[in-house]
Amino acid sequence: MKFPSSLRLSALALVSSLALTGCIDSGGGESDAEDDDTIRIGISLPLTGDYAEPGKGIQRGYEAWAAWTNENGGLLGKQVELEILDDQSSAERVAQDYERLINQDGVDLIVGPFSTRLVIPAAQVAQDYGFVFIEPAGAAPEVFEQGFENLFYAAPAVADDHYNHLADYIEQMPANERPKTVAVASMDDPFAMGTAYGLRDKLDEMGIRIVVDEVYPPNTTNFDSIAAKIADSNADMVIGGTQYQDAVNLILALQQLDYQPKMAAFSTAPTEPEFEKAIGGKTEGILAPTGYTPQAEYPSNQEFVEFYTDTYGEAPSEDQANAWTTGQVLAAAVEAADCAESALEDPECHQTMIDWLHENEVETVVGPLSWDEAGRPQSAHMVQQWIDGEIRIVLPEEQAEADLIADKPAW
Amino acid sequence: MSLLLQSIVLGLLLGGLYALLAAGLTLYFGVMRVVMIAHSAFLILAAYLAWYFNTETGLDPLLSLVITVPLFFLVGVGMQRLLISRLRPATLTMMSVLLTFAIALVIEGLLGYIWSGSQRRIRLPYGGSDIEILGANIAVVKLIAFGLAAASLVALFLLLTKTRFGQALRATIQHPEAAELLGINTDRVAGYGFGLGLATAAIGGTALSLDATIYPSLHWHWIGPLMAIIVVGGLGSIPGAAIAAMVLGLSQSLLQIELGTTWAQTCFYLALFLTLMVRPQGFFGGRLAQRF
Repeated sequence: MKFPSSLRLSALALVSSLALTGCIDSGGGESDAEDDDTIRIGISLPLTGDYAEPGKGIQRGYEAWAAWTNENGGLLGKQVELEILDDQSSAERVAQDYERLINQDGVDLIVGPFSTRLVIPAAQVAQDYGFVFIEPAGAAPEVFEQGFENLFYAAPAVADDHYNHLADYIEQMPANERPKTVAVASMDDPFAMGTAYGLRDKLDEMGIRIVVDEVYPPNTTNFDSIAAKIADSNADMVIGGTQYQDAVNLILALQQLDYQPKMAAFSTAPTEPEFEKAIGGKTEGILAPTGYTPQAEYPSNQEFVEFYTDTYGEAPSEDQANAWTTGQVLAAAVEAADCAESALEDPECHQTMIDWLHENEVETVVGPLSWDEAGRPQSAHMVQQWIDGEIRIVLPEEQAEADLIADKPAW
Repeated sequence: MSLLLQSIVLGLLLGGLYALLAAGLTLYFGVMRVVMIAHSAFLILAAYLAWYFNTETGLDPLLSLVITVPLFFLVGVGMQRLLISRLRPATLTMMSVLLTFAIALVIEGLLGYIWSGSQRRIRLPYGGSDIEILGANIAVVKLIAFGLAAASLVALFLLLTKTRFGQALRATIQHPEAAELLGINTDRVAGYGFGLGLATAAIGGTALSLDATIYPSLHWHWIGPLMAIIVVGGLGSIPGAAIAAMVLGLSQSLLQIELGTTWAQTCFYLALFLTLMVRPQGFFGGRLAQRF
């Protein structure tokens, strides 16, 4: 049968393009022969796409933890090897990645990706195969409402509680100094909304008026209208339920309109290393919640900071610390259960780890962690603020490195 | 500051960029009856090139036009000669959708392969500057982008109405067979028309790069509204595309204020449905398209 040349040409172009965009599986990733001296840990991370910036931070944290573990005798005397895939920030892709890591690559253990949107599908795959699932970045309420019994969030607090210290601080401010109005803009993302709405609802209960309450889809790049709305409201305070690039874009749009709030708080982005440069250095007074500070005096933290700084030439930030913490929690569970086999081969091993984590506390670089039956950690986040070109802990008082500036300088 | 005034200004500035891009998109259809799905992919490619030159060499995006406009023009001519012209006339429009869809995927794949899927943004020394006009704050970069788009659109209009090439192109759009009889090499004109269309994508992409965050799949976000604009304006009508772009850009901005970001783009599709029901040839697709 002879096809018209135009059809052949179009088909050729289409097939080429599908191959280029990764729609055709190249069939890579065949697992190597099992190595008894190695514990292989599978991870899917958003190394490209919406969450690429924090995703790469998490990757560094995992890699640093694996390197440190291997330099210090390994896990159960075996070397740790990471198998990292890029899920391109896609919820569909992340589930496929964990399926592949478990079934095709035959990893012994898995740990979680970045962001609630990716953690939930990944945790579902882990639960289906009976794997213990410790994750560094799924903090939204939804994560803990899915009925996962194998999930543990390796950070101090869930999203709704990230701003608790800031809410308490605002409540204790004299009435005439307190913000009267607040504008909220949040990505349509469970984690981002969780952080923003946790604070919004507490401020609302205090009688502070919510004058703007916007939700925008992930991948939004034009924030002009949202910024115009916030600027027009002239709200005393702006809360951004953000990841990274959206926070940068929103802040730049607000700056273009010369909107000057008295308080400005954004989740995730301000703690990223690239943030200051991305918004042209105009960071003064910006607040952000964080679960980690390199200055914290927890037993393993200084060792982590020194090792990470020696390896990468800079101090770790929250993303790296959360990944390292995930590694610490996994190591504690493995050592307690005295096994690290794939759940496909040894389901008892993973169940033992799950049971142990539900009943015990683990010392980590973000402090001692314990979990409820749904995997919620039972501690609290700190609040940081950009002061004199540096991001510093301002709340709670006992861990503060500087006093909180309640009247934000112009940006 | 009035929110309404601010939204109107933002809508008009965005409309200017839509107008230039829609003018390019309507050229392909007008000259060759080609539905160029890859137009917005070339737009994003141009934005990436502007970002790349700026990041690697410090070259201002506006100066990168010296490279990208001729390059895209040549690519357009080559694309028409090597690919589009080989499609059979009987199935040209349908096959062009498939072919240019594939080209869009190729470009997206290449962008992702070369620069990853991470979002990129140019940092310009004048990026944070704004001016106040009638109480509305306008970012300098947005004004520059609008100025670039408007000037390009005027230049395109003059090229099509005041030059012999423009006459030949319009003759090809209006009646290809008659144009052939008059000695116009319609194949060559079609190639130049295609090149011209891609040149508008180069200019539009550069304008976009001044104040936007870009990533490889961003072109899908643009192609739908642009297609709607050229249908509403009337296929083949550059003034129609420009007018529809301004109106819909403004509508989008106002809808964003009223209904939020999620619903803002519905105005394009609503306008598309209404146009197809009320006036399928588009609002300026009749005599105006023939007169330019």
